Parts: sequence; structure tokens; C-alpha cells
Amino acid sequence: MEVLREKVEEEEEAEREEAAERAEWARMEKMMRPVEVRKEENTLKQETLRDLEKKLSEIQITVSAELPAFTKDTIDISKLPVSYKTNTPKEEHLLQVADNFSCQYSHLCPDRVPLFLHPLNECEVPKFVSTTLRPTLMPYPELYNWDSCAQFVSDFLTMVPLPDPLKPPSHLYSSTTVLKYQKGNCFDFSTLLCSMLIGSGYDAYCVNGYGSLDLCHMDLTREVCPLTVKPKETIKKEEKVLPKKYTIKPPRDLCSRFEQEQEVKKQQEIRAQEKKRLREEEERLMEAEKAKPDALHGLRVHSWVLVLSGKREVPENFFIDPFTGHSYSTQDEHFLGIESLWNHKNYWINMQDCWNCCKDLIFDLGDPVRWEYMLLGTDKSQLSLTEEDDSGINDEDDVENLVSLSSSRRPQLTVSTAFETRCPNGKKVIQYKRAKLEKWAPYLNSNGLVSRLTTYEDLQCTNILEIKEWYQNREDMLELKHINKTTDLKTDYFKPGHPQALRVHSYKSMQPEMDRVIEFYETARVDGLMKREETPRTMTEYYQGRPDFLSYRHASFGPRVKKLTLSSAESNPRPIVKITERFFRNPAKPAEEDVAERVFLVAEERIQLRYHCREDHITASKREFLRRTEVDSKGNKIIMTPDMCISFEVEPMEHTKKLLYQYEAMMHLKREEKLSRHQVWESELEVLEILKLREEEEAAHTLTISIYDTKRNEKSKEYREAMERMMHEEHLRQVETQLDYLAPFLAQLPPGEKLTRWQAVRLKDECLSDFKQRLINKANLIQARFEKETQELQKKQQWYQENQVTLTPEDEDLYLSYCSQAMFRIRILEQRLNRHKELAPLKYLALEEKLYKDPRLGELQKIFA
Amino acid sequence: MNRPCNSMGPRVMDDDMLKLAVGDQGPQEEAGQLAKQEGILFKDVLSLQLDFRNILRIDNLWQFENLRKLQLDNNIIEKIEGLENLAHLVWLDLSFNNIETIEGLDTLVNLEDLSLFNNRISKIDSLDALVKLQVLSLGNNRIDNMMNIIYLRRFKCLRTLSLSRNPISEAEDYKMFICAYLPDLVYLDYRRIDDHTKKLAEAKHQYSIDELKHRENLMQAQLEDEQARREELEKHKTAFVEHLNGSFLFDSMYAEDSEGNKLSYLPGVGELLETYKDKFVIICVNIFEYGLKQQEKRKTELDTFSECVHEAIQENQEQGKRKIAKFEEKHLSSLSAIREESELRNIEKMILECSADISELFDALMTLEMQLVEQLEETINMFERNIVDMVGLFIENVQSLMAQCRDLENHHHEKLLEISISTLEKIVEGDLGEDLPNDLRALFVDKDTIVNAVGASHDIHLLKIDNREDELVTRINSWCTRLIDKIHKDEIMRNRKRVKEINQYIDHMQSELDNLECGDILD
Repeated sequence: MEVLREKVEEEEEAEREEAAERAEWARMEKMMRPVEVRKEENTLKQETLRDLEKKLSEIQITVSAELPAFTKDTIDISKLPVSYKTNTPKEEHLLQVADNFSCQYSHLCPDRVPLFLHPLNECEVPKFVSTTLRPTLMPYPELYNWDSCAQFVSDFLTMVPLPDPLKPPSHLYSSTTVLKYQKGNCFDFSTLLCSMLIGSGYDAYCVNGYGSLDLCHMDLTREVCPLTVKPKETIKKEEKVLPKKYTIKPPRDLCSRFEQEQEVKKQQEIRAQEKKRLREEEERLMEAEKAKPDALHGLRVHSWVLVLSGKREVPENFFIDPFTGHSYSTQDEHFLGIESLWNHKNYWINMQDCWNCCKDLIFDLGDPVRWEYMLLGTDKSQLSLTEEDDSGINDEDDVENLVSLSSSRRPQLTVSTAFETRCPNGKKVIQYKRAKLEKWAPYLNSNGLVSRLTTYEDLQCTNILEIKEWYQNREDMLELKHINKTTDLKTDYFKPGHPQALRVHSYKSMQPEMDRVIEFYETARVDGLMKREETPRTMTEYYQGRPDFLSYRHASFGPRVKKLTLSSAESNPRPIVKITERFFRNPAKPAEEDVAERVFLVAEERIQLRYHCREDHITASKREFLRRTEVDSKGNKIIMTPDMCISFEVEPMEHTKKLLYQYEAMMHLKREEKLSRHQVWESELEVLEILKLREEEEAAHTLTISIYDTKRNEKSKEYREAMERMMHEEHLRQVETQLDYLAPFLAQLPPGEKLTRWQAVRLKDECLSDFKQRLINKANLIQARFEKETQELQKKQQWYQENQVTLTPEDEDLYLSYCSQAMFRIRILEQRLNRHKELAPLKYLALEEKLYKDPRLGELQKIFA
Repeated sequence: MNRPCNSMGPRVMDDDMLKLAVGDQGPQEEAGQLAKQEGILFKDVLSLQLDFRNILRIDNLWQFENLRKLQLDNNIIEKIEGLENLAHLVWLDLSFNNIETIEGLDTLVNLEDLSLFNNRISKIDSLDALVKLQVLSLGNNRIDNMMNIIYLRRFKCLRTLSLSRNPISEAEDYKMFICAYLPDLVYLDYRRIDDHTKKLAEAKHQYSIDELKHRENLMQAQLEDEQARREELEKHKTAFVEHLNGSFLFDSMYAEDSEGNKLSYLPGVGELLETYKDKFVIICVNIFEYGLKQQEKRKTELDTFSECVHEAIQENQEQGKRKIAKFEEKHLSSLSAIREESELRNIEKMILECSADISELFDALMTLEMQLVEQLEETINMFERNIVDMVGLFIENVQSLMAQCRDLENHHHEKLLEISISTLEKIVEGDLGEDLPNDLRALFVDKDTIVNAVGASHDIHLLKIDNREDELVTRINSWCTRLIDKIHKDEIMRNRKRVKEINQYIDHMQSELDNLECGDILD
């Protein structure tokens, strides 16, 4: 670290001041941009307009990237647990230890920056950084591996830049708060990620160090979007087959070697030129893409996560940048230096030189020469402890316990319902080099769009090359929509399960009879259709796995004939000019009888057949049927003449020469031709149907909800709620039935004693009389209400009688409706009363019976026993 | 049998009758006109119906080679005959005839459906060849023995059987018995056998069926054993070392050697013989193992050779096919161009171009073929050299091993002679008691006799060894020459076939072009 500093001091002494100045400017920029722009314009008159424009756009980007500050005022600290607001004595002790350590360190290394040991938390209480880490294993199986964890953290939180890019922050909020507000700086990010990784068993550390500008500002515009990188095709190594003993010798090569050499030389020259040109081009591009040199290079503070090998089958050490969630090797040039690192147990200071970024660092934390530890006795202290006095602590075990204790006092991290939403407000935009990636939470967009990747032609992102849109949970199983802006070709990809078994549909317009390719899931289709290609004049279909071995059908159409009779437009199909059908080899038939290709030249009334080639032959049989004239010169009908069938047979056979055979073959083919034409026509209809269906689906874009998705599935939600309600009612009813009649009476007696017979009898009588009284009371109550209603009604009627003449129609209506309601109430009350009268004796008897059977009043039964 | 046609006299199946039947049952309407025009060959007929014709004797059917279905029902046939040539027959109906025994069906291996309903058959027999039989109709006959059912067990495909109105169908156990003994049967007497009946029947006859099965299994195992043994021997024979993996040769040496056998009773000869045999057998086994190994080597050599040749031919064919495909594409387009062209001079020019293309294709294909022939010839010669060398080496080694055998024999001979002479001396001296068998004693008359006897035994042994060696050598040599001849012949055949094919194709193309020319000129 020191060396780096020295280097900076030596080489960029002058520049340093300038850099500070610029940093100051950058801060001012945010506040007074327009003024700034004008000022710049004035000062940089000699610069070309182009440069200015570039700068302007850059400035705008920084402004748009600016996010609302995450200050203490916005945090509601009243709901935080007590442990956030106070420090236990042990924590105090730990802080003292840390202070001591810090003092010694600054004494020993006066030229290094002060340690980042105990920043304040949201309640302005200093906390030791290791206690801020709270190892947590999230209850989501997707968050078990480091890559998904990192992706989650990067998606879930919004990045806030450090208040001072050259210093670690003064505050370090707890991860609970960070999760709640879904934003934070790099230290918050890495603390959260580190907690999650340690929780899932990784050997992870928070790192306080220095990063590049791109890293610190989460600027991915110089990164190639990982989604655009095509997976490198693994070149199959051609296995050099060892020539067998009797492999024939190739025919002698009669070409001139000299000429060949000349040719090769020429080719090489051309290739070299090409290469040179390419390289130049590349260099030019690289130049354009290269970032402006950063004045604060090497001074920008950043925090990231280091994962050491060993646990969870991690093969080698690597860094994770918490902003992007990408992993980097420890040699990566974005990471410029490490100041210190910590996990939930200990704190280490890097004593190695960082002049060559992090490339030479050795991550053996047990080595006290390279890594100065703060607390003794953790599992990384493998070497002998020579500097025990330096740490100034004698009871290390206590301290370690202390750390773990103090951290366990804090609540577990939880990610609530927001987990699915991932990004704040469910949306996130990432700008890559020549690409923009937008992400949405599932179900956020009504058409199921979850992410969109826009690829641009140029670095300024103005000319769109192509757009890829990913969808989820669509009812039509649409998975990906790919729009190529240059060719205007749209391609839709579907998951299995579309009603028409679509797999891929690429088209330029949704009009029928245009260029389009539709691929199908052929196993889901009865006819085994794999692919259908259409151009304005042709239609080609590819089949697989059919019982009739058809593999290919190509139909070409002629121009549509204008019909004189103006019937509906649909019933005017294009005339078919030619149908070509190809077949796979049918192993059940001999090759010379197995048709490989048949061509129906509909317009010329010709049928051409080509048979499969026999294993040991190079020529295949062919047959051509012509049917030009139906009637001969004398007007007789011609059935079959030898010149109607021209055939070439590899091995001439007797029976195929017969006219009868040929006639039958031709008749068969005519039938087949009719069928094939019908098939083509049906295919056309199907295309129309598919297009219609697709349009409907696009318009409706319904989303499906899994039956396991209890939150969104309305039906299941209703059902569940109904069930819960029923359960609740059932419960209430049970409580009622279990209501103990005897309880109030038993309470009067001394508890725990067995009832005497007399007591039992008395109890029973009391209970019964009480019940009787209650029944009577209830009857009276109903009676009273009934009478009251009746009286009121009578009063009203009286009033009506008196004022009948003066009443407005509205009042009369009111009166009438009141009357009917009152009558209704009275009737109900009457019914209830009657019912009560009927039921009361029964209820009374039932209670008596129940009391007899009550085990507590067992004495009663003895009388009857 | 009472039939309405009985009033007519018996008729003969002559040519006219058959022609009439074929004409009547052949194609109708337009196709029929064509057929009449051309005439139908009997061998093209697939199905023939000859019922209610009072036929007495099946005859004149030998021409119907491809017949699939033959109906001869409702005649007065008494004997199944004349069907030997109808090897493709699938369906044969001989119901309502006067047949008494099943016979003459041994060549109809493809038969699946056989109807012999309403005849006079009393025994199910002579159906062994009909391995594909699925439907057998034997109702209204005179079958009276249940054991006939067991005969039907051998037909693995049999699904439908009718035996109603036979004496056996009167038996109360009839249905159960059949169901039990023919478990794969689906229909009996036109009714489906339900699972319940099957189960019942199985339970009822379980013991006897198990016994039967056991016997059948034993037979099967025996057959398989035999087969395996035969295959083993065959394998040894192809290695030319059969019977050398034991004492067979040694035993055969002594089989015809009466003197040798007699001499073995001499004192001391027994042990001598024992050690001799042991050593001899060891050498034989050596030869045997060496032979098997060599055979393996020859086989791999031959396999690689044929694989390589096959690959070369395939590759060449692919090239040829590609050339033809390319040519045809071009040819088709130029043909249609010619058809469309109206200017006579242009047509002529184009036709000339076309024929130039055709001859070019011919040259290309022939060059390919010539190239292949050259390549193959080289390879074949190389293979020939190698295989001859191999055989030579094998013979040499076997001969040296055989020479060891001979040495052993010579050694044994000397020993035996020694013992014999000493025995003779003893006998002459009168030392030896009476414990020698009489016929052996007869040899010890004088020195000449005994020496001759021992010599004769020796000669026989040597002869046997020589014979075995000669047999081996001649057989392997003839195998070698035959193999090489065959390879050469195959290659020549292949070449001729390909050249013929190419010529045929080119001729066709040329004639097509000529026809076009004529047609155009006529137009």
C-alpha cells in the first residue's frame, strides 16, 4: 500500500492536486449543471464541437445515474431493536481493543490511512465491523450458491455512491436496514453479501480496498453484456483415424506442387493483409472504447467480497463485486489494492505491497507477515504468534466469544415478500457496452415481459441493432421475442405447450402468404411436422417420424387466377403448380420399389418418380407418367399406351413392363396427387389459423399462474380463505357445544371434592331451573320485541290514516315500504317465538338428559342404578 | 357327401379352367381391358378361387409361383397334392372336400391360415413345416384322440382353432383340455376364450402340463447342448485342428494297431506308454491352441480387409452418386429448356451439348470405376500375400510340432524294441514265467518276428501322424486358395455389374435424348 502511495506521490504529484480539483468540480457539477456547462464552454473554446458533445452526453449520464441520497434522516430508527442503540459491556470491550489496535497501527505505520474499524451505525453508535456481519442462510433454495446470492444482492439493492469517493464512509448501516430500504453504498452491499455467503457456508470476507472508476460507479458501459456473448463453439477435434492395414491408397495426385506452393503463398499474403487490416480496425475500435484516464485512479475506495477456496468446493480464491454480482479472478485489473478485510470473526490488515494491483497478493491469512490480524485465536492463525504483545490482548478466547456473542444478539436477516420483486420497484436497467438490459419482476408487466436486451450498433447507443425480449408465465408459452432491426425479421420462441405446438416462428409480417418459417415440436403433432417455410410462391414442409416415411413436401404456387364470379375471397386458393414429396427409406420394401421422391407437375399433368438407390448401386430407378391426351385421333378413349410411362430401371423386371402394372401405378398416383393437393390446401388453412391465433394471443396476452403460487392464484386464495372461515366457524361451534352448563354452579362449591348425592341433586335442579329461566327470558324478549314492532306499526298506520290526504306520493311510498318491512319483521319475530315455544321443552329435556349422563353428577345415576 | 354339384361328373383342373378363373377374378373395367389386351401370366396372380367345380385332383398349379391365397373349397378332392410350388401361399382353403390325411404341405412355410373344415381327417399330422400358422380350422372331421392337441403345442403363433363336431369335441373335458394345453390360443370354435376359463383349465391340468413342460424343456436343453457341441466342433474345424485338444489322435493311433496293443502287456511297457501318451497329448494340445490362435488372427485379418474394401467401395459409390445427382440436375434443366426452345438450330445445339454432358458423365463414372479397380487390386494382392504368408507360417509351425510327435514316437519305438528284445532274451532263457497272454507270447518266437511286430506298430503310428498332418495342410491350403479365388471373383463380378449399370444408365439417358429429338423433329 505504501509503495502505491509513494508511486502516486512521485509520479503524479502535480496531477494529484488537479485531481482533487476535478473531484471538487464533479461535486459541483451535480448541483449546478447548467452553469457548469456554460462555464466549460467558455473555458474550452478551442475544443472541437464534437468533444463538447461527448462531454455533454457524459455529464448527462452521470446526472441520470444520480440517486436520492441515503441519509440518516430517511431511516426510522424507532423500530430497531435495543442492541442497535446501545453497546453491551463486551462490545465496549471489543471497541476498546479495536481502538487500541488502531492506535498501535497508526503508530507503527504512520503513512497509511486510518483503519476502517468501527463506523457508526444508523443509531450513531459505533460498532465493530465484524459484528455488523450477520451470517444468515436465506430460506430460499435459489440463494444457496454464491452466484445467485451475488445476483440477488446486486438486483435487490439500489446503488448509492460513497459520499467521498476517497474515504470509507463514516456510517455503516446494519444489513437489516439496508434490506428494508433497498439501497446502500458498496460497503452495505458487500456486508450484506458477505453475511449471506458466510451463512451458506462459504469462506467469505468483506474487503476494504481500492477499485477502478468503473467498479466504483457500477459503470458497465465498457463491459460486454454477458447475454450477448455467444457461447464459443467447441471445435470438435477431428479424430485422426489411423489408416487400417488394407485401406486403399488414394489415387495419385497429378497437380503441380510448384503451382500449389505459389497459390499458398499468394493466399498467405492476402490473409496477412486481411489480418493487418482487421487488427488496425480492432485497435481503432479499442481506442474509441477505451476509458478516459481516471485522475483518481488507485485512490477510489471500494468494498467487495473475497471468497477463499476450501469451503463449499470452491477451487480457487476469487472476488465478487457486489454491485454487479460478477465474479472476478484475484488477478483482475479492476481491483487496485486491499487495505483490510474482515469476516464475522476477525479483522486483518494487508501488509503486502499493492504496486501491481492485487495480482501479487497471497491470501494466506494465517501468515502474520502478510496479514496483520486483530484478534488472536481464530482458525486462520496457523503460524506461530510472534506479535502477541502487539495486539495487546490477553484473553483472546473471550474476545472471540465476544464477537460471536455480540453478533448473535442481532436479529436474523429476512427478505420479505420483496424477494420476488427483486429490484426496487421491480425494475432495473443496466447499461452495457453497446447494449442495454432491462429487467422486471415477474407479473409486473401485464404481458409477462421480464427482461429486454437492446443491442446497439454504436457506442453511443443510438442505432438499435436488435431487441430481445424474454417473457415468463405466458399462457401462449411465448418465451423469447427476437427482433432484428436491420433485417426487420421477428422471431418468436415458444416453450413446449402451445396449442399449435409452435416452437419457433420467424416472420416479417403477420400477413399470410409471405416469408415466414414456423418450427414445431414435432412430437406434439400427429402429423410429425417439424418445420414449415413459406415464401410468397412456395411452401416447404419438413416431417419426421411418420408411418408413411414422408420427410419433405414442397409446393409451388402460381399466380392467383381472378375469378369472374365474385365469390368470397377466401375460397380462391392459389393454383398449385408443382408438388414435390420426398420419403425416407422404408426398410420393409426393396429399394427399387420404395419411392424416394415424387414430383407432381400439376399443370403439365406429369408425375415423376424417383426410387431409392440400392445399397450396391449408384443409379436409382426412375419413372415418369404423362397423360396428355385422353382421346386418340379416332375419338376412342385411350386407357394406357406404352409411351405414357417412361421408366428407367436399374435392374429391369418382367412385371413392371406390363401396361396393367403401369396403369395401376398411375391410378394410384392420381389418387395420391389429389390427397397431396388436399394436404397442401390444409396446410395453408393451418397457417391462416395459426396467424389468427397468434394475433389473438398477442392481443390478450393472458398470464398463467401456477397452482403452487398461493399468493397469486385467486381461485386457490378464495378457496383457502373459505376453508379458513369454515374452520373458524367450526371451531366456534365446537366451543359452544363444549360450553359447560355446570361450570358456574360447580364454581360455588369447594373445588376438588366429590359431590355428595344431595349436592348433585341440588346442582341439577339449580342448573335446570336456571336454564328454564333463561328460556323464559328469551321467550319474553322475543315477545317484547314483537309487541314493540306491532305497536309501532299500529302507530304508523294511525298516523297514515290521519294524514292520508296531505301526503305526497313520496311519503306514501316511504310509508308503504316501511309497512312491508315492519310486517316482515313482525312475521319473523312471530316465527321465532313459535319456534322457541316448540323447541324450549325439547331443549329442557335434552339438558336434563345430559345432566344425568354427566360424570360429575355420577351420584344422581346411583339412584336409578 | 351330399352336394348339389355332385350331379356333374368330376372335372380336371386344366389350362382352360384356370385361364377362365384368372380372367374372371382379375382386374375389372379399364384395367380389365388392358389385362385382356396383354394377357395375364399365371405367375403374377396373387389370389385364385376355384370353388364348387367338382375338382377331383389338384393339378396344374405349378405356374402360380406367387400365389398368396388359394380357395379350393367345395370340391371332391381326396388328396392334398400338387401344391409344392406355391411357396408364398398364406391362405389355403380346402374345406368341404374328401381329404383323409393331412399331407403335401411341407413346402408351404408361409402358410398362416389353413382350413380343412368338413373333411375326413382323423389325425392331425404332417404340419411341422407351417411355422407361421395362425388359424387352423379342422371342424367336422373325424379326430378322435385328445393327444392330437399336444401336437399343436409346437405352433407358437396359433391363435385360432376350431375342432367342433369331431369325436373329441363330445368329450366333457374337451374345452378345458384344449385351453390348458394351448395357453396362447385366443379363439376356440369361433369363440373367444375368457381369462376365467383359461385359469380354471390351467388349475385343472396343472400337473400333467407341468410334467409335459418339464419334458419339453429337457428336450430343448438337450437340443441346445447338441447344438453347442456341434458349433464348437465346427469352430475347431475352421481352425483345422479338430480333435487335437485331447488324446483323440493318440487313441486313433492305437485303434488299428493290434501288435501295439498286445505289446502293451509287456512288463514296463505300461508305464512307458503312459508317459508317452502324456507327452504326446501335450504336443497335440499345443497344436490345437496354436491353431485356434492362428485362426483368430486370420479372421481379424480377413475382417479388416473386407471392412476396408467395403469402405472403399462405399466411398466410391458416394462419389458416383454425387456425380450423377449433379448431372441430373443440370440435365433436367437443359431438357426442359430444349422443350421450350422453338428455334431448330438452337435445339440442335443444345442437344449436342446434352450428349456431350452425357459422355462426360460416362467418362467420369468410368474413371472412378477404373480407379477403384486399381486400388482394390493392389489391396487384394497385399492381402493375398499376407494371408499366404500366414498360412505358410502356420503350416511350418504345425509341421515342427508334428515332427516332435514323430520324435516321441521314434523314441518310444526304440524303447519298446529294447524291452521286447530283452523280453525275448528272457523268454529264450526261460526266465519269464507264464504271466504273458498267449497271443503276445506267440510274437516272441524269434527276433525277426518281434522286430517286425514292433516295426509294424511303429509304422502304423507314423502313418496316422502323417495322415493328420497331411489332412491339416491340404485343408488349410485349399481354404486359402478358395478364399483368394472368391475375393478375386467377387471383385470381377462387382466391376462387371458396375460397368453394366453405368452403361445402362448412359444408354437410357442417350435414348431419352434421342426420343426427345425425334419428338421435336416430328413436331
